[in-house]
Amino acid sequence: MMTSRERVSVALQHEEADRAPLDLGASVVTGMHVDTVSLLRQRLGLDKPGTPVKVVEPYQMLGEIAPDLMDALGVDVVSLGGPSNMFGFRNENWKPWTNFSGTPVLVPENFNTDPEPNGDILMYPEGDKSVPPSGRMPKGGYYFDSVIRQEPVDDQKLRLEDNLEEFRPISDDDLDHFRREAERIYTQTDKAILAFFGGTGFGDIALVPAPGLKNPKGIRGIEEWYVSTALRRDFVYKIFERQCEIGLNNLKKIHQVVGNKVAAAFVTGTDFGAQNGPFISPKAYRDLYKPFHVEVNNWIHKNTTWKSFIHSCGSVKAMLPDFIDAGFDVLNPVQCSAACMDPSDLKNEFGDRITFWGGGVDTQKTLPFGTPEEVRREVRERLKTFGTGGGFVFNTTHNVQARIPVENVLAMYETLRDFGKYPLS
Amino acid sequence: MSIFEELQQVIIDGKAPVAKEITDKGLKEGVKPSEFFPKAIIPAMDEVGRRMRDCEFFIPEVLIAARAARAATDILRPLLLGDEAMKPAGTVVLGTVKGDLHDIGKNIVGMMLESAGFRIIDLGVDVSPEKIVNAVKQHNANFIALSALLTTTMVNMKAVVDALNAAGLRDAVKILVGGAPVTDAWAHSIGADGYGKDAPSAVELARKFVSAA
Repeated sequence: MMTSRERVSVALQHEEADRAPLDLGASVVTGMHVDTVSLLRQRLGLDKPGTPVKVVEPYQMLGEIAPDLMDALGVDVVSLGGPSNMFGFRNENWKPWTNFSGTPVLVPENFNTDPEPNGDILMYPEGDKSVPPSGRMPKGGYYFDSVIRQEPVDDQKLRLEDNLEEFRPISDDDLDHFRREAERIYTQTDKAILAFFGGTGFGDIALVPAPGLKNPKGIRGIEEWYVSTALRRDFVYKIFERQCEIGLNNLKKIHQVVGNKVAAAFVTGTDFGAQNGPFISPKAYRDLYKPFHVEVNNWIHKNTTWKSFIHSCGSVKAMLPDFIDAGFDVLNPVQCSAACMDPSDLKNEFGDRITFWGGGVDTQKTLPFGTPEEVRREVRERLKTFGTGGGFVFNTTHNVQARIPVENVLAMYETLRDFGKYPLS
Repeated sequence: MSIFEELQQVIIDGKAPVAKEITDKGLKEGVKPSEFFPKAIIPAMDEVGRRMRDCEFFIPEVLIAARAARAATDILRPLLLGDEAMKPAGTVVLGTVKGDLHDIGKNIVGMMLESAGFRIIDLGVDVSPEKIVNAVKQHNANFIALSALLTTTMVNMKAVVDALNAAGLRDAVKILVGGAPVTDAWAHSIGADGYGKDAPSAVELARKFVSAA
């Protein structure tokens, strides 16, 4: 039997391992909502009802995939991320909290919230209640969304520095964190590492509002940002240029401390696809984003053994030739429910050049609203389609959400266990 | 090029400041406010919708065109109050459903419906069924357009249908639904009247219901 690290490595080389490798929780887009983690742990007999689960990503309220759960499911990949989360505070010194669905959870000490009169919950950057809130969870909701802190834009006063505040040279403390964590994971587990070093995602709309900054300036509104990519393209290009320079310098330093312990580096999470087609034109991708993707990926391939990982939701088939040409090795989340994203077409046309990390089961329809039998059928089909010949890491299409029947989650992992072995049947 | 052709072109190109200038200039030259809609704004946004459908325009292009259209309509609307020639094609109560804070898609639908001559009552995001029922009553609306991005919130569309039934208003309105996880089958299953896969489809659907009425 292979180790997890070997299994993932073989899959990334487009060969068949002993079984299809499994990711759950190695990134903020391949995880599971804390409510579902809690239910799953109880069903697997790992926890008694009422046992709190840690929230390791407070924005999307993702639950911790602890070693016992990894063992129970056969998870092969773990996350190597920075010391701070989306809201800019560290995941440490845990305290109890209860979310709207009544799930007892543990949150970091700086997870400081305030209720609104209408029942919504507000969250603060770095947990600092002396500044305006940066996150809001609507009453009864399951996640936070960014509070948009956008001053009216005066084109004469726009400064590159304002949109670069969150992109800084990496500190010695953070470098030390990456060195220690990479060493710990590499020596104490047999798992493959998916690393998120940050700073190389250009125009990621989840990060533009800067929920971790106390007083963000520049272009921070979601609509304002998209408008700017069309109306102020030269300005946005210059932001990316500077960001790329900072990001590459950081990667060089990080590589010196983590070496080649990393299997894949999460380079970008910018969504280029919508449900019915690309979010932007392929030409806009080539003009505004691709030059920087090429620069980052070239550096990675020239200096490391890391595979380059791109996350983009939606219908991106029209852009896949460009993604591959830009040097990406891995595509996630493989949203087959979007237009033109038929699994067989994707595998036939691009399967020899890019690894599909995701697409194991649909999370818009099948997992939340289907029957366990429908889940089993789809997982078997996807295993066969994407898994043949390797080049596939099993993961749901994006995070497993809240309000998912636990029977469907169990059906997914049971099917993977029963039918995920090579040769695939 | 006529002033209407000029305005059409700058809306399609997304040049809001120029759209404002041309509209002002036209008004000074004696163009009736109501003329801008059938001769410039509606055809411009129809063309934007066509380009979106045919994958010539994407989200950023649609947003800047809608902003340019709005620059013109913001000047014209106050001048049209009480103008019988400008009776809206219909009144649409618009919102993102309870528990959901996402509004890019909803806003694009609102801007395109508005540019197509509909009156929009935009209730924003995280809107409760009660608030929608009240707005329908208050504004005598004949359409409701609901958006949801999340699988955890799309279920709240059904609550709106139920609330309208309970208030005896279900037959007074057509309910249009949309958003990433929403499908035609879903719309049918919750008893909505139509599903729009994108903003141009929503406009087409609303027009179809208007002409059938």
